Amino acid sequence: MDVLARNNVRVAGDGATTLVFLHGFGCDQNMWRLLAPSYARRRRVVTLDLVGSGASDLSAYDFDKYSTLQGYADDLIEVVDAIGRGPVVCVGHSVSAMIGMLAGIAAPERFRGHVMVGPSPCYVNDGDYVGGFSRADIDGLLETMESNYLGWSSTMAPAIMGAPSQPELAVELTNSFCRTDPKIAQHFARVTFLSDHRADVPRLAAPTLVVQCHDDLIAPRSVGEFLARTLPQSTLRVIDNVGHCPHLSSPSACASAMDEFLATVGA
Amino acid sequence: MAAETGVPDARELYDRAACGLLVTAADGTIVVVNDTFCRWIGLARDELVGRRKLQELLTVGARIFHQTHWAPLLQMQGSVAEVKLDLVHAGGEIKPMILNAVSRTTDGVVRHEIAAFGAEDRHRYERELLHARRRAEELHTRSMETQRALVDAQAELDVQRRAAEDRALFAEQMMGVVSHDLRNPLSTIQLSATVLKAQELTPKQRNRVEAILRATARSTRMIADLLDFTQARLGRGLHVDPAEIDPHAVVGQAVDDLRIAYPGRSVVLRTAGTGRAFVDADRLAQLLGNLVSNAIAHGDPEGTVTIASAIDDRALTLTVHNTGAPIPAAQMPALFEPMTRGEAKGEGIGLGLFIVREIARRHGGSVAARSSMAEGTTVEVILPLRAGG
Repeated sequence: MDVLARNNVRVAGDGATTLVFLHGFGCDQNMWRLLAPSYARRRRVVTLDLVGSGASDLSAYDFDKYSTLQGYADDLIEVVDAIGRGPVVCVGHSVSAMIGMLAGIAAPERFRGHVMVGPSPCYVNDGDYVGGFSRADIDGLLETMESNYLGWSSTMAPAIMGAPSQPELAVELTNSFCRTDPKIAQHFARVTFLSDHRADVPRLAAPTLVVQCHDDLIAPRSVGEFLARTLPQSTLRVIDNVGHCPHLSSPSACASAMDEFLATVGA
Repeated sequence: MAAETGVPDARELYDRAACGLLVTAADGTIVVVNDTFCRWIGLARDELVGRRKLQELLTVGARIFHQTHWAPLLQMQGSVAEVKLDLVHAGGEIKPMILNAVSRTTDGVVRHEIAAFGAEDRHRYERELLHARRRAEELHTRSMETQRALVDAQAELDVQRRAAEDRALFAEQMMGVVSHDLRNPLSTIQLSATVLKAQELTPKQRNRVEAILRATARSTRMIADLLDFTQARLGRGLHVDPAEIDPHAVVGQAVDDLRIAYPGRSVVLRTAGTGRAFVDADRLAQLLGNLVSNAIAHGDPEGTVTIASAIDDRALTLTVHNTGAPIPAAQMPALFEPMTRGEAKGEGIGLGLFIVREIARRHGGSVAARSSMAEGTTVEVILPLRAGG
């Protein structure tokens, strides 16, 4: 199988260091377009779509394999092998921070470090642990997703890409970044928001940067602090940002936190 | 701007629009809101402007969606359309709305302009559709499961049937082998007894030798039956070797032999018509022997066994009749199946009538039985003069 096609892997720039950017739940690798390109000047920048998202090969979506985040982590290791020249730095947003972590635990020699943007090892509250959500909240999300197919219809080729600067363009291009097969989107949402990888956190040996927004509904500060406390080698950077996507809304704050971290790991 | 007659001014149009209209800052904080939206959400303007973010009016599930889909889309493509989100009315009620938004940057300040449409009816209808689809999917899954279970059961049945067939086949093969191998020691016994009988013996010794010969003859018959049965059930079926014969002559000879075999019993033969038939003479005698020994064994010991042999231009019809107690009605349907009728007097092993039927079939003929208290028991065999003719 061609893993580069499967994950719609794009490579830009060149340099001694390779950064692999993983998008989170919801959209696709376009999420990195305000942050990743600046790194392509001196480094090799790899972006990809998780299987089931964006322009990945939807036929590769195996409901069993992707019923845990480990399925995605295995894919990531395959991609890192395919692009060569490791070890790489993995930059994962949201759920992909955990995917990167699982890959780093399984294949530590392939990762020099990890950047986690808005990570959470467990979204659902559990005893003293405050993930931010109850099980009923997650059901509410699944219901909202059922009401929003975001431009998806079976008659449309999922590869169509919108022209983002011209929203008034054709209606069928609207929402294309977040377009996903509804069944896959539901499944991915369930797997993401019901995952619990707190027990794996202490097993990630590589240096890790946690980029925490000061106001993030999905990944509250208490979660970032839990991670920073539990990861063996971590740096916590809280940036001034409202929302869960600082790489879109505060790319420069993200970049300065990342630059500092990359310097410490010699990347 | 010159207002047209009867058309409200822009401010009033905005406030009383048929949809909720809002402007928010990039972080979602409400900057401007119209009356319609205030009314729908149950909050006054001054409770919203500068004090609430749009996402804070959403259910938690919708907030996650807002963060993972709405916000990135708005940032990347500058607009979102037709997103349905659940808002929470000040009274706690859920208000589903469809939202469109455009992001506009003026003098470096980003504003999100949002139009909200109440969607309660649409929401209810969509819930029903979703519910119906889920129900259909469940039914489909269940029917698939049932189908799978059926296929599994069928497969299990096939396995068991094959196993049963194997067992039956094995048993029949065993029977064939055993009965075949038994014939050799039996013929040695018979030969030795015959030699002994020719010598000078005391009456007591003679009695014993004759008993040996009778028992040997019976055993030989039973083994022959077993072999026939095995042959009939396995492979090519019971072997017959037809030739052109005079049936009356063969039947007459067979009846003479039977009279010797059953001294003291009344056996009557009636014949009708004349002609020749293409039949295995030995098998015909065997068939008659089986029917007569049954009639003797089950019939009234004082009664007569009557044999009729009739030839017309098509067939030979043989009937064997005895008086006495009828065959129980329950036994009639399976009368000709192997080992079903208790051959009470220890004369055989339940294969006699089965072999009769097989002989008839191998000649292209048939066999039938009727039995009643008044009429006694009659078995009728019809053999075409030429098989297939």
